This record gives sequence, structure tokens and C-alpha cells, in this order.
Amino acid sequence: MGNPRLAIARRELGSLRKEKTIVLALAIQLFVAAFSSFLVVGLVSLYDPGAASYQVDVAVTGGDEAVTDLLTAIDGESGLAGRTYPSTDAAMTAFEERQVDAVVEASTGSEGRIHLVAVAPDSGVETTAVVVRLRDALRALERTERAQRSASLTTNPLPLPPATEASPYFSFTYTVLVPLLLFLPVFIAGSLVVDSLTEEVARGTLELLRVAPVSFSAVVDGKVLAAGGLAPIQAIAWMYLLRLNGTGIENVAWLFGMVAGLAAVVVSLGATVSITAPDRRIAQLLYSIGVLLVFAGTSLLPLNPTNTAARLALGTAGLDARLAVVGLCVVGLVSLVGLRLVVDGVDPNELD
Amino acid sequence: MTDRPSQRQDSTANGSTANDSTANGSTANDSAGGRVSGLRTRLAAHLRAIARIAQWEVSRSAGTVDRKTIALGLIGALVAVAIAAGAVGSGVAIDQDLYRVGIDSDSAYYDAVEQSSVLEPRPLSDPNVEIVVSNTHVSVKETQTSRAAYQAFREAVQSYNERQMAREPNQSAAFPVVVDLQYRERGALVPPGSRVDGGSGDGTGVGGGSDAVGGSGDSSGTTGTVGTDSSSGASDGDGSVGSGADSTAVASADDSSLGASSLGGMAGIFGGDTSGSPASISPPFPFASLVLAFAFLVPMNFVIQAYGSSILNERVNRRGELLLVAPIAPGDIVAGKTLPYLAGMVGITVVIAAAIGGGPVSVAAVIPIGLLFLSSTFVGAMFARSFKELTFVTVTVSVFLTTYTFVPAIFTNVTPIALISPLTLVVRDLGGDAIPLGDFAFSVGPILVAALVLFLLGTGVYREEDMFTQRSVPLKFLDALDSRISRPRSIATLSALSIPFVFIAELLAIAVLFVLPVDVTVPLVLVAVAIVEELAKSMHIYAAFEKARFARTVRVSLLLGGLSGLGFFLGEKFTAIVQLVGLPSLTLGQAAFAPSGIGIATAAGLLVAPLVLHAVTASVTALGARQGKSAYGLALVGAIGIHVVYNMQVVNALG
Repeated sequence: MGNPRLAIARRELGSLRKEKTIVLALAIQLFVAAFSSFLVVGLVSLYDPGAASYQVDVAVTGGDEAVTDLLTAIDGESGLAGRTYPSTDAAMTAFEERQVDAVVEASTGSEGRIHLVAVAPDSGVETTAVVVRLRDALRALERTERAQRSASLTTNPLPLPPATEASPYFSFTYTVLVPLLLFLPVFIAGSLVVDSLTEEVARGTLELLRVAPVSFSAVVDGKVLAAGGLAPIQAIAWMYLLRLNGTGIENVAWLFGMVAGLAAVVVSLGATVSITAPDRRIAQLLYSIGVLLVFAGTSLLPLNPTNTAARLALGTAGLDARLAVVGLCVVGLVSLVGLRLVVDGVDPNELD
Repeated sequence: MTDRPSQRQDSTANGSTANDSTANGSTANDSAGGRVSGLRTRLAAHLRAIARIAQWEVSRSAGTVDRKTIALGLIGALVAVAIAAGAVGSGVAIDQDLYRVGIDSDSAYYDAVEQSSVLEPRPLSDPNVEIVVSNTHVSVKETQTSRAAYQAFREAVQSYNERQMAREPNQSAAFPVVVDLQYRERGALVPPGSRVDGGSGDGTGVGGGSDAVGGSGDSSGTTGTVGTDSSSGASDGDGSVGSGADSTAVASADDSSLGASSLGGMAGIFGGDTSGSPASISPPFPFASLVLAFAFLVPMNFVIQAYGSSILNERVNRRGELLLVAPIAPGDIVAGKTLPYLAGMVGITVVIAAAIGGGPVSVAAVIPIGLLFLSSTFVGAMFARSFKELTFVTVTVSVFLTTYTFVPAIFTNVTPIALISPLTLVVRDLGGDAIPLGDFAFSVGPILVAALVLFLLGTGVYREEDMFTQRSVPLKFLDALDSRISRPRSIATLSALSIPFVFIAELLAIAVLFVLPVDVTVPLVLVAVAIVEELAKSMHIYAAFEKARFARTVRVSLLLGGLSGLGFFLGEKFTAIVQLVGLPSLTLGQAAFAPSGIGIATAAGLLVAPLVLHAVTASVTALGARQGKSAYGLALVGAIGIHVVYNMQVVNALG
């Protein structure tokens, strides 16, 4: 047995195992991650013309010179095909009959500008797909037109490097999915501590401390250890799963340190809240608000946890990110010390 | 075995609750007038009890909070909101300095890289970079990271150019193209191949190449109107350049007579029609429903947290015992305890609806979701053994319900699918559309009924022997089912009551699988449907056998199986409402619902077939349930197999 803290931590983990809640917790995290990936794969394939095999047909009408340039620009874009129509009415009819997905009417306006009236369908997901592709084509048109007018410009725009194929999900994986999988266990860990402590108060089991050879601070430590220790382990398990899935994750040790530091902060927050307001309803509410504060507040910092995690996992982080992790761990230690001070100043039997 | 002593208590407690719940209908046996007045006094008594408990719940909750905590919470919430607003306003870059670029500070591209938040310029001597940029070429490594960095670099140059051009004195040369973007409504859109009567017979035309609109003769009711008024939404949605938008009266900006604008609400919320240079076009955010889901559902999560705690608190240290022994029906206690939270939810919903401009229809569409949130939390709190378990139950509830309401609403343009979620009704209400009663009922009905059934189940275990004992969630669940069973007939009732859940599960399956090609999804949906229905028909039979409610003989098993099948069949007939919204016209809808005889021109044989099927499979599982857990599992697999084969036959016969 030895240390009573370890015994209490083991008991906490035992109850988690017995209730099989930990399985549920993992399932939920997996579900959230899968769900957000599902959304993003859907979203990104809309935004990225090359990602989906979906062709947008555009009806083009209007003044002759503008139309030629417009058609060139449209056909230069992958996933877009242009068709000329003799009149706006004919084009709009084709649009209504769904022979085309968008209509662009070109005319030469004041000061030699090209005026375009673009009509896109108002139908949710399809709208975005159409508009995104149309925008790329129109930007290409703008570049050619601009080049023709370069004599009137004081600075010439930088030549744009050619487009290449790059995975559209790449950035999302590191800036959203990885931080999500890293920080979700932390949030759940804090919630666990709140539940565990408020339940002791509600059941009145802390009374037993008077006769038991354990101190209140040992009980809190044990609970903090069990919940907080679980978070980095889960997070790292996710990282290895991602690796198995072919997503390269660098700096796993640093990520571990980061999650551990953050877990220390959040779990101390949860424990402090549930000691100061031991009714579960209030404690959970305050805890949620507090976590929001922590995440919102740190997101304003230049080295915010999400960004740092992304860069560490990507392997593009410099010294600054590593220093941020060290700093976070220090903050975590400080909050643990703060928690100890709070715990020492509280009589467990006064809690109600 | 340990349940044996409580067996008698079980049935008596159950008897009393059953009486109470039906008391309103079946009491007075004297004259009609006496019956009415008796009914009225009983009703008044119930209402008084409910009101008293609700009042008590409110005052007690208020008592646990001191002013300091409230102030603390409020300040915290305000600060969080302020920070979040600030973060959104200043555009927190989660992808800041994601890629390192080796670039000479004399390079023409240096400023572009330096000004980009995603890229971090490094001297050429630094080996730890993703890409190296010189004036003539960019060197990219053969890694994914490097290619992604190149992509980011290209975007950085593009936006740098835009900024440079914005400073040009000659704006007409800098921005030679001006675009007016308008959104227009067309008729309902359905992906090719997923409409049963689409194309020419062969429903397999999902092949990648062609355009998604199918082109052929799918429903034409086109309404040529501008989705939303342009001027209002355009300016605030996107901080666009809006340079030379002089030509407002463009060719087709005609009268915006109101008509069906399905996702018109979206264009209104997220900056609709725009005009300016091509770069200023911001594609509409396609998931208006995402924002709606978060606006309406996030507050609900806070409410159910508190509600769940309150219910579970009754079960800690036998606190609820006093209420239980008081001469109040458990139903009244539950209603009274729920009322304040429901009122809170309604209040929040009304405020949010008013804030985003939704009418009574929006509120009426969202409240049932709130009820389902509350009822599943109630059941969760009745089952949970500890606060920890409750937390996971609530999280599961909110994740599941958010998915259920959110995923179908993505497909707002594919109406039959989208209507699964009440959020679609909200989107339509925001767009100013009239909503047919059938659509409303289809969307809200299953949720409402499911919520009521859950309350019923939970109230069944609102009794001493279940509230204050520690049993695992599945056992409690069996208890709850068993508490509703008193005679064989109850089996049929429970089967019928399971319909809304079956419906919800099947609809969710359809909505989630909708994006996949039809060839893959139809078998998947068939299997999912079989699993869900077989579980729904057999779980309560298993519960009844486990609690020794009935004799474990073959004859009884067959009787129960037959009753369960009958109840399910009758309940299913009510789901004929799906016909009203045209879900069976989608291939997936047909796969899910045709085997039960919905949406097909029914010959007499086809009408009886589902009944026979349900009775046979339910009897198979009942025979298994008679023998215990593992036999039940085995029988369940067998029944699912039979069901799948039957479903395949029907769908093939129809296709």
C-alpha cells in the first residue's frame, strides 16, 4: 500500500473501470474526432476544387471581348466548364432548368472595367462549391486583366507561383484534430475531479476522515493524480493512433509534457471550484466557465496551446514552442501548489 | 437471485404507478357528470402537487447558491464571452507560424512571407525550414509538410498582391474586374441516383464524372426569386472591399417577391449578395445549421447538467425518501422537479429565437429537442451510480442529440433528409417560409414521443428499490422496462412505444449514410434497420424473463413474441406519416421503410408480410431470451439475419 495518495488514486481508477465509464469516455472522444473529421472532409472537398470530382458548369453571356477572356479564365480552372449563351434570358433559363450551375453576365463598364453579374444557386452546400470555384476563375481573370493594364500601375504584382496538388486536409489535421484530441481528455479529467469531490461531499463520506489515517489533502491529491494522470496517457494514445493511421506526429514527449501541464492547471481548477462550491450543479457550471476562460484566455497569447501543439506535432516548432511547454508545466505546478494552499485552509467537515 | 425478495414490492409499486398514471381516465364509475367533476378535482390535485414541488425545487436550488458564487459565475461568463468576442474579432491564428520559409530579406517575396501569419521567414542559412524561396524559384521537399507550406506560400503571395493593389492610385487598373454576386433559388435538389424514380429506371447512376444536378426530369417546381434582400445582409457579413459597386440595378435583381427560399436564411446570416473585386467574394458558410445548433443546443447542455445533478441528488443518501413516502404520485414528483428546468429551457429558447429573428414556429421546433434532452438526462440520472457516471451519460446524450439534430440539417437542400432535424424547420422559419403541418409533425413527432416515453420509463423506476440501490446501468434499464410490464399485453404496448426510438435511430442512420454512394448505403441501411428493430422488439421480453415476470415455457415465449411483433407492426403503421414528406421517394428511405409496407402500393400479401416477419423474428428472440443472456444474444443474431434477408427480398422485388 505505502502512500495513501496512490491508494486513493488506485481506488478512483478502480471505480472508473468498474463503471466502465472510461470506455464511454473514449468512445465519445473518438466519436467527436470522427464527427469533426467527417464535417471537415466534407467542407474541405467543397472548398478545394481538386478534391472532389464535381464539375461546375457556368453559363457565360454578354459583351464579346470580356466573354472571351472570361471563358479562358473559366476553362483554365479545374472543375469549371464554360458555355456561351446568346442572351441573359437563355442563360437564366438554362440555370433554372439546371443545365448550368451558375450564370455570369459580362459587360464593359466605366473606365474600361469588366462588370460581371454572377448568379449562383441558393442551395446550401452546392452554393459554396459553385462560388468557391467561380471565385478562383474570376481571380485568374483579374490577374490577366491586371497584367494588361500594368502600364497604369505603380507597382507590379508579384508573379504567382503555379498551383500544385497538396492535401487539403493537411492543415486541418494539425491545427484542429490534433489539439482536439490532446485537450479533450484534459477537459474530461477536470470534470471527473469535480464529480468525484462533490460526490464525497454530497454523500458525506468526508466525515470518515476524522477517524481515518488519511488527510483531506491526501484524498484530494489522490483524486487529482488519478484524473490528471489519465489525461496525458489518453492524449498520447491518440497521437500513436494517428501515427498508425499515417499522420506523422513529431515531438511526442513534448506534447506529453504539454498535456500534463495543462491537465495540472485544469484539474487544479476543478478541485478548487468543487472545494469552494461543493454543490455539483454550481461546481460543474463554474468549472465549465473556468475552462472556457482558460482556453479563451490562452488563445489570446502569441504562443497559445492550440498553435503550439500544432507546430510541435508538425515538427515545425522552434525553441519558443518548447519554452512555452516548459512555461505551461511551471504554471501547472504553481496551480497544484495553489490547490494545496486552498485544501490546507479548508476543513473537510465544514464543506456543504 | 437477489432480486427475488423485491419481486413482490416490484409488482405492487408498479401497480400503484400504473393506477396513478391512468387514474385520470379510469376512476369514477358513477354518472358522467360525476366523472367529469371527479376528474377535474383529481387534475387540480395533481397540478397543485406539481406546482408545489416545482416551487420547492426552485427555492432549494436558489438556497444552494450564495450571492458570491453567482457574481463569480457571472463575471467569469462575461469575461469568457468578452475574450471570445475579442478572439473572434482579432482573428486568433491557430495556424500562426505553422511553416518556416527560408528566404533572403532582399527577396521580392520577403514582405509577402513576413506579413503572412502562417509563414515564418527564416534566413537562407537556416536548415530547419520547409521551403526555400529565391527570386526565381521555390524549392520544395518531397514531404507533405513541405507541399502544404508551398500551398500556404502561394496563398500568401496572392493576398499580398491584393493588399498592394488596394494602395494603387489607379483603382480601375488595379481591380479591372467588378463582380456582383447574387444567390437565386431553384427547385428542390436531389443528388442523381438517390431518387427512386430518377433517370431511366437504373438507379445506379452515381458515377463520378457528370454534374451533380442530374439534369433529368426531377421535380421542377422552380421559383425564380432572389433568396434574400441584398442590401441588409451584404455589408456586415464579410469585411469586403466593396470598391466600385456603382451598378446596383443590375439586370436580374428583380422583385424579391417572397417564395420558397429553403436556405435563404443562410445567405441572410452570412453575408448574402456581394459585390466588389473577385477576391472580396466570400462563399456563404454552408452550415447555417451548425451555428443554429450551437446557439440553441449549448445552453441546453448547461441546463441538463443542473437537472441531472438535481435528480441524482435525490438518490444520494436516500434524500428523496421523504418525498416518496409523501402522498404524491411519483409522476407528479418528476413533473414538478422537471418543470423549472423546462421553463428555463423554454425561456432561453425564446430569447435566442427572438435574437436571431425566429418566430413561434422556431420555438415550437426547438422545445421538443429540449424535452428529449431533459428526458434522456432524467433516465440517465435515474440509472447512474455516481456523479462521474452521470457526467458521461450527459455528455453521451448531448453528443448523440447534437448529431441527430445537426447532421440532417446540413442537407437542407435535400428536403426529405433535412426534415429529420427540427433545426431545418428553424432555418425555414428564418427564411420566412410556411411549414406544412405534415413536415412539422414528421420532424418533431418522433422526438416528442420519444421524450414522453423516456419520462415514462424513468418514472417507472422512481421508486425506493431502484432509486437507492447501486446497480449497473444495463440492469437498471432492464428494471425500467420490466416496471412497465404487468401482463402479456404490456409487451405489445412496449413494442409499439419503441417505435419513436426505432424511427430516430433509423433516420439518423439514413442521414449519416446519405453522403455515401447508394450501392454501399442500401445494404448498410438494411442491416442497421434490422438490428434496431430486432433490439426494440426483444429487449423488454428479455427483461421480463430475467425478472421472472412470465413462465419460461415455449408457449409463453411464442405468445410474447407474437404480441411483440403485433405491437410493433401496429406502431409502425403510424409511421405512415413519412409518406407525407416524401422520404420513401429517396432510395435510402425506400430501403428503410418499404420492408414494413410503407410507401408501396400494397397488395394484401405485402400488408400481412411485415406482420408475419415481426411476429416470427420476435418469437425467435423470445425463445432465446427464455434461456438467458447468451441464448438471447444468439437468437438476436439469428433474428437480425432473417430480417436482413427479408428486407433484401422486398427491396430487390421493388427495385
